Amino acid sequence: MRRTVLIAAALVMAGAGTAWAAGQQLGQPLAPRSPEKVYASTCGYCHGTNVGPIILGRHLPAVTVVGMVREGRNAMPAFRPTEISNGELEALSRWVEASAANPQEKGQ
Amino acid sequence: MSTLPIDRRGLLGAGVVVAAALGLAACERKAPVSLAPGVSKADFAGFIAAAKSIVGAEWVAGDAQSVKPWTKKYIPDPGNVHAPVGAVAPASVEEVQELVRIANTYKQPLWPVSTGKNMGYGMTSTAAPGQIVLDLKRMNRILSVDPELCTALVEPGVTYQQLKDYLVENNLPLWIDVPTVGPIASPVGNTLDRGVGYTPYGEHFMVQCGMEVVMPNGDLLKTGMGSTKNPSAWQAFKWGYGPYLDGIFTQSNFGVVTKMGMWLLPAPPVYKPFVVRHKKMEDVSRIVDAMRPLRIANIIPNVVLMMGAGYQLGMFARRAEVWDKPEPVPDEAFEAAAAKVGLGMWNTYFALYGTETMVAESEKIVRAAFEAIGGEVLTEADMVGNPYFHHHATLMQGGLSLEEIGIVRWKGAGGGLAWFAPVAPAKGSETVGQVALAKEILGRHGFDYTVAFAIGSRELHHIIALLYDKSDPADEKRAAECYHDLVTGFGDKGWASYRTGVQAMDLVAQQYGEVNRAVNAAIKQALDPNHIIAPGKSGIA
Ligand SMILES: Cc1cc2nc3c(=O)[nH]c(=O)nc-3n(C[C@H](O)[C@H](O)[C@H](O)COP(=O)(O)OP(=O)(O)OC[C@H]3O[C@@H](n4cnc5c(N)ncnc54)[C@H](O)[C@@H]3O)c2cc1C
Ligand code: HEC
Repeated sequence: MRRTVLIAAALVMAGAGTAWAAGQQLGQPLAPRSPEKVYASTCGYCHGTNVGPIILGRHLPAVTVVGMVREGRNAMPAFRPTEISNGELEALSRWVEASAANPQEKGQ
Repeated sequence: MSTLPIDRRGLLGAGVVVAAALGLAACERKAPVSLAPGVSKADFAGFIAAAKSIVGAEWVAGDAQSVKPWTKKYIPDPGNVHAPVGAVAPASVEEVQELVRIANTYKQPLWPVSTGKNMGYGMTSTAAPGQIVLDLKRMNRILSVDPELCTALVEPGVTYQQLKDYLVENNLPLWIDVPTVGPIASPVGNTLDRGVGYTPYGEHFMVQCGMEVVMPNGDLLKTGMGSTKNPSAWQAFKWGYGPYLDGIFTQSNFGVVTKMGMWLLPAPPVYKPFVVRHKKMEDVSRIVDAMRPLRIANIIPNVVLMMGAGYQLGMFARRAEVWDKPEPVPDEAFEAAAAKVGLGMWNTYFALYGTETMVAESEKIVRAAFEAIGGEVLTEADMVGNPYFHHHATLMQGGLSLEEIGIVRWKGAGGGLAWFAPVAPAKGSETVGQVALAKEILGRHGFDYTVAFAIGSRELHHIIALLYDKSDPADEKRAAECYHDLVTGFGDKGWASYRTGVQAMDLVAQQYGEVNRAVNAAIKQALDPNHIIAPGKSGIA
């Protein structure tokens, strides 16, 4: 339910159609994911639910986003390149920087 | 042993070569970083070079800068002795076999992780210094899902999120069972550490079926039915033939698991979550006694959580909102703050699963049992909009969430957590001494009683979240000392942990006695004579 909301919101923000329509196939590794999908399946579970601060719509520099994700300051866990590839993170960080705020999200 | 402190003094002396090999020259960190016993700088460099040729340079971290994402942890580690010195990430079983072989050549210990989100137990940090993380997250294929047998076979890097997405995208009416932090954790990693979730399949090792394991010599073992000429029953029958081996690959360092079978729960026609509210700390004893027969007879079929007010509040509130003094939060303050958000001192979450009639019949029984001990039995209809109820209702149907991670910010922004989870029989009388002892030890070190009790079936886990502020070195040191006292204090009474973090693995092993340790050591010596797989895991060197 909450996931659906996040994904819907993310897609609207990106102005994309079905950015990650192709799901994972049996026997195949996970294909590179769109920023919307990475956000919805990782970041959005904390950023937007009061665990972490709101990060959408704040024009946070992409480089800050990359640093936070790889090192995980304070209560934020770090995400390794094996979890979010360098390519996925680069796209995600630019997407976060350019994102609009999502009024559905809560956070301090 | 090449323990060379990497600080300014070290850089002037013998440490300089290691520092260069580890790329630490520019590192300000004062904490000791050392290679594993018996591993020379040349061995380390040799392993790193060989690993690059196996998995590609991009997937090897061999210096302080590139290894950073593997060093994050919530647990107290004041001396920073549990940080890995490198990481290597294979993409296939063959690469794992190759890596294990070269690890033997260079005597370089490897610490395998699946998704590495063992939060509050160490994440990707290691039990002993000088180890390289064998990060299996890239091996993330879902190999099979059988909708008739309700089983799956997955690689270590498959997260619960991936598995759930697959089931949803393919309209398969099967449920997964998550350990609270599903989106970023994995069935393989969680099951191998014998973790738990909150549906009827919450005891994960119980619903695990069949493994593929890279042995320390590089051999490939398939357990159970997996090594027969036709392994079609690999995910259907757990035991195979002869000694049951799967258990020795959990909480151990006897091999690297590269595939794991698991059972999935068919989605029930009706799912009904409940919470029972009790107001007083001492009520927990009666709750346990009321719950035990219902769990053993499987009238309540899921792993049950009795959430204490402190732990519950910590999910969405910060300590300062509840209590403004340095002394541990008193029961009364927790009770009052909990009442304001619709919670009791104990909040017992369970659910019923089945047909309409089955659920209705069971509901009569459980209502009677809890109302008889003064509990308020509440359902979704009573708890509309209550985020705590919503959270547990999500978990008890295998839903995905990370919001509980809010607890690590309880004491401050720094994010500090160590789980201490001693086991007792599921008898109310056990809770009396446990609650008193936990409060005494936590209180002595200035920490709050933020806990839950869980009942799997006949046993009681006292899940104590030791919450501290990791950005304050004094608090981190206190947390380390407190954890030590919890292990020994509870251990003296025979209440030993079901699992622990890398900072206390040897200490917990001591609570289980010398013969137990000697048997584990003998198995280790036989299977891994060079001790290259995760030395120190569960106190096995
Ligand atoms: C707020 C919060 C709530 C939590 N709730 C729960 C809960 O309800 N239940 C629960 O169980 N845990 C819980 N945890 C703890 C932890 O985050 C989970 O258990 C998580 O599933 C473990 O991480 P992982 O799945 O990534 O396993 P990993 O970190 O990948 O693995 C754990 C350990 O198992 C061993 N291992 C892993 N893979 C292999 C392999 N392939 N071969 C050999 N050995 C291997 C290693 O020793 C490794 O360190 C919680 C944590 C937090 C912060
Ligand atoms: C488990 C919860 C959690 C997840 C998942 C998570 N974060 Fe965070 N994040 C936090 C917390 C907590 C903080 C605040 C850290 C602090 O106190 O310094 C934070 C801080 C940040 C910040 C800094 C914000 C600021 O105001 O300075 C950024 C940027 C960020 N996160 C990005 C991400 C991205 C991108 C993802 C997904 C890849 C992500 N986070 C996933 C918990 C999380």
